[in-house]
Amino acid sequence: MVQLVGSLRKELADSVSDCNVLVVGAGGIGCELLKNLVLTGFKNIEVIDLDTIDVSNLNRQFLFQKKHVGKSKAQVAKESVLQFCPTANIKAYHDSIMNPDYNVEFFRNFMLVMNALDNRAARNHVNRMCLAADIPLIESGTAGYLGQVTVIKKGLTECYECQPKPTQKTFPGCTIRNTPSEPIHCIVWAKYLFNQLFGEEDADQEVSPDTADPELSWNPADTEARATASDQDGDIKRVSTKDWARSTGYDSVKLFNKVLFKDDIQYLLTMDKLWKKRKAPLPLDWLELQKLGTILEVTGTGLKDQHVLGVAGYSQLFSRSVETLRSMLADKGDGAELVWDKDDPAAMDFVTAAANLRMHIFSMNMKSRFDIKSMAGNIIPAIATTNAVIAGLIVLEALKILSGDVEQCRTIFLNKQPNPRKKLLVPCALDPPSANCYVCASKPEVTVKLNVNKTLVLALQDKILKEKFGMVAPDVQIEDGKGTILISSEEGETEANNSKFLSDFGIRNGSRLQVDDFLQDYTLLVNVIHCEELEKDVEFEVVGDAPDKAPTPPSSQEEQKNFANGNKDSAEPSTSSNAPAEQDDVLIVDSDEEPSSSTMDVSTESGGLKRKLHDAETGEASAKRQRLDQATADDDDDIIALD
Amino acid sequence: TMAATKASKEQKYDRQLRLWGDHGQEALENAHVCLINASASGTEILKNLVLPGIGAFTIVDGHKVSGEDNRAQAATELLQELNSDVSGNFVEESPDKLLDNDPEFFHRFSLVIGVQLPEGTCLRLGSVLWNANVPFLVCRTYGLTGYMRLVVKEHTVVESHPDNALEDLRLDQPFAELKSHIQSYDLEGMEKKHNFQLPKNYKEKEAFRQLIRQGILTKENGTPEDEENFEEAIKNVNTALNPTKISSIVEDIFNEEQCNDITAQTPAFWVLARAVREFVQNEGGGNLPLRGSIPDMIADSEKFINLQNVYREKAMQDASVVSKHVESLLQSVGKVQGLFANAAFLRVVRCRSLAEEYGAETVNKDEITSSMDGADGEMVLYLMLRSVDRFYQQHSRYPGVYDYQVEEDISRLKLCVHSLLQEYGLNVNVKDDYIHEFCRYGAAEPHTVASFVGGSAAQEVIKIITRQFVPFNNTFIYNAMSQTSATFQL
Repeated sequence: MVQLVGSLRKELADSVSDCNVLVVGAGGIGCELLKNLVLTGFKNIEVIDLDTIDVSNLNRQFLFQKKHVGKSKAQVAKESVLQFCPTANIKAYHDSIMNPDYNVEFFRNFMLVMNALDNRAARNHVNRMCLAADIPLIESGTAGYLGQVTVIKKGLTECYECQPKPTQKTFPGCTIRNTPSEPIHCIVWAKYLFNQLFGEEDADQEVSPDTADPELSWNPADTEARATASDQDGDIKRVSTKDWARSTGYDSVKLFNKVLFKDDIQYLLTMDKLWKKRKAPLPLDWLELQKLGTILEVTGTGLKDQHVLGVAGYSQLFSRSVETLRSMLADKGDGAELVWDKDDPAAMDFVTAAANLRMHIFSMNMKSRFDIKSMAGNIIPAIATTNAVIAGLIVLEALKILSGDVEQCRTIFLNKQPNPRKKLLVPCALDPPSANCYVCASKPEVTVKLNVNKTLVLALQDKILKEKFGMVAPDVQIEDGKGTILISSEEGETEANNSKFLSDFGIRNGSRLQVDDFLQDYTLLVNVIHCEELEKDVEFEVVGDAPDKAPTPPSSQEEQKNFANGNKDSAEPSTSSNAPAEQDDVLIVDSDEEPSSSTMDVSTESGGLKRKLHDAETGEASAKRQRLDQATADDDDDIIALD
Repeated sequence: TMAATKASKEQKYDRQLRLWGDHGQEALENAHVCLINASASGTEILKNLVLPGIGAFTIVDGHKVSGEDNRAQAATELLQELNSDVSGNFVEESPDKLLDNDPEFFHRFSLVIGVQLPEGTCLRLGSVLWNANVPFLVCRTYGLTGYMRLVVKEHTVVESHPDNALEDLRLDQPFAELKSHIQSYDLEGMEKKHNFQLPKNYKEKEAFRQLIRQGILTKENGTPEDEENFEEAIKNVNTALNPTKISSIVEDIFNEEQCNDITAQTPAFWVLARAVREFVQNEGGGNLPLRGSIPDMIADSEKFINLQNVYREKAMQDASVVSKHVESLLQSVGKVQGLFANAAFLRVVRCRSLAEEYGAETVNKDEITSSMDGADGEMVLYLMLRSVDRFYQQHSRYPGVYDYQVEEDISRLKLCVHSLLQEYGLNVNVKDDYIHEFCRYGAAEPHTVASFVGGSAAQEVIKIITRQFVPFNNTFIYNAMSQTSATFQL
């Protein structure tokens, strides 16, 4: 490290070699970051990643080679770094950072934490752990050519959750089940179908016709009659899709005709109200299709995956993939389940075939396997160059923190190409914490609108507290003067409450719940507003922080900026439902390579962190002035002025 | 087997194929780049080219590492480990020796990357490559400063991927098929009233929005129906009703000499540009071939697909006409399919040569002086780099490499700064702080800055090789202290 003596002051060089740092994630950014850290003179590094190495990582994660596929990322990264820097003291964990072993005490071991993550849940969690331990955190993400780095320090800067993140778009169940109008609806349906047949069954992922479609409810008697009819029709109203499929031995012809592409479609046709203003679907018949022979009508140029087969071709692909998946399931033994993975060829073939057949039925142009993989896997393109740039920026921010100059740290945005002001990088001063943040405010508080008579305690725990508010193991106490414990994170204490409604515990309009997550050292006060009329498929709505403030739906201010940014490469909608959050380099805002909720993240490259414009010519403007919309900061010239 | 190799490549490169496509990947796999000096920045750049699968690289480096090991060989072997699909080569010689003995050695490469080169070598190599039409990327990490200079006589881009490109809808000049498609809708003769004249100003646009509003059906009680598609139309009056015209950039390309004189040696880009020009002047009636894509919109799928097909089919027709022009221009050209869709995005980048940048007569004084207004911008870093080069010429070493030299080198470097400014007649002020700072750097190449330079430089190389995106023109400076960057035309 002789060379660095020139660039780093002695005290800084000393603290670099003495301090302990934690790197969360050993993917695209993580690999580059580990290299930069040891070559800058960092000696004591701990790295954690729960993922294993996949072939598609090798185009950028240079610490891994083909022979490492399937092994622990953290472990191999450590071994590879030690080869070129044997003096480093690296500790690797093949584990999830959300595991309770990594508690506040663990985080206090470090001078600095650096995130190199790919999903919002883990980012939220590390954000809270660093706030609780009062350790500075460097947050980063990349998506294709775009990247971002920022610094989070308790009490001094915004935390990761100060700015509301764009809400993810969800599709109403009846659109998926009855009236798909876009390819994405068919892809979501095909992924649901995969889980219904081979994976974990989920009541929210039904694939059969939905007789409760609100468009049909104009005549309740009619709906009633139809519902009765379907009860008698064993082929339509199945107790369990999986059991039924198993009873046929996963006979692909039966699956094809009986339910998926013929009988269910014919049943949909009986709901004639749906097709008054829409083009009606056209059922397919297996035998008819096979008469077309085995000709694979191929259109398109380029990669094999970019070809679009004909409908006969997809029916055969459907049959082949069902057979492969059936034997994969059988090999795993009784009661086993498959987990959908875009990089598993049979699972991807199945979704490609099923989604395309459904697109054909609903008169949409079919799509190639390549395109469907993008949408189904919510793939965000990822390249070595962007990660190298971002990892370089991260270590420079780290050096400022170690010098005690947190005030000098910046949020830095990396553009695709120099913007009209000829800047490739846009640095912005860090904003102070938001007073209303439901995470880092001194007494965090939120207001949630829900129907107390219809919301189960389990839904409160899983969908609101865990999924929406990012808690890992919440305890809930009702502020009813008695301190009733509604949910306990201790196993076996409150499971009996799960299937009861909130109203069963006296929770009503104006009730207050105190929620604690001991691992995150985080307490949140939840104000309940009772509401009878929520939109269909909406179980709850966060309407603001404290109840006395004007409700500001979190999505409204985010909406406009989610789209304008012309990167079509990564703006593809995605749908990964319950996909394990994997892959590296994530999003800017939240550029997950695969977000883990059953939805799509429309804005891959804008995100929760607002873009701010730093005016280099005039020095730093006030925080308020800098705060422009991302689209504006990005391409001021390209915005069409509204006249 | 071939098929298996192809499939495994598709898997390995999946995440980048989604950015530059299989044709971009193919261009990358056919490229052979040369790296001069396998320093921290040099190896970072190559690493970022080897991972995505560049066809071949050759390292030219006469330096030794730890004893007798040659740096060119050591770096080649380690880089080769990262990707077995890449062919790695090395030459254990200094670039100066090669320039003395075999300057044509450098002609064979798709692109040459020169890293941490002394000024003399850089200028010599720059002139050889300029005359041979080989793109040259000069890169440097100097303390907390990053520097890149692109030297390319002419670089043509077919897919420039502009941000926020307007749609190519031809609403003001509908082609016959679009006209008849629109007439299949019963829209109360909207187009008759306005005869496809676009609203020109705010007032006309507002009137047009009002016209759309009138189309919204009303409920029995008189309130308007909630019709999202109308709302969408109103919102898009500004962007969708853009006049169909050829951008001045593309017009300029049509007017270039290369577009007029097509010979057997004319590069494919210019043949294509000429064919498109023929199309515009003949079949296109003054318009470019249609792009053929339409934005997502609120509509039922059948209507949307029909409309999409109208545009797509017209685009394919236009493409085949352009293709005929290409054929008649040249008996045989390679693959041109798929290129016309981007006719609006053709770009040409021409950089100034290093000789022009360095010549006392040809130096771009205006750019330097105007960029020095702030005194703390990135331009001062450029002047400092030029000054340390001058220091090197005089002292055969860079300033402040050893701690004991820092103090005395400050005044020496100050002299170099003054003589540089004087020689070029630059009336600008360089603060002493920068002179101190550059002495303190001691020509170090901190890895974290090298990582930044390695990522940015490799990205420019990929842009040039794939002919996608517009490379910077011509100088890029990164200030790692303030995390800022700027580009200049020098």
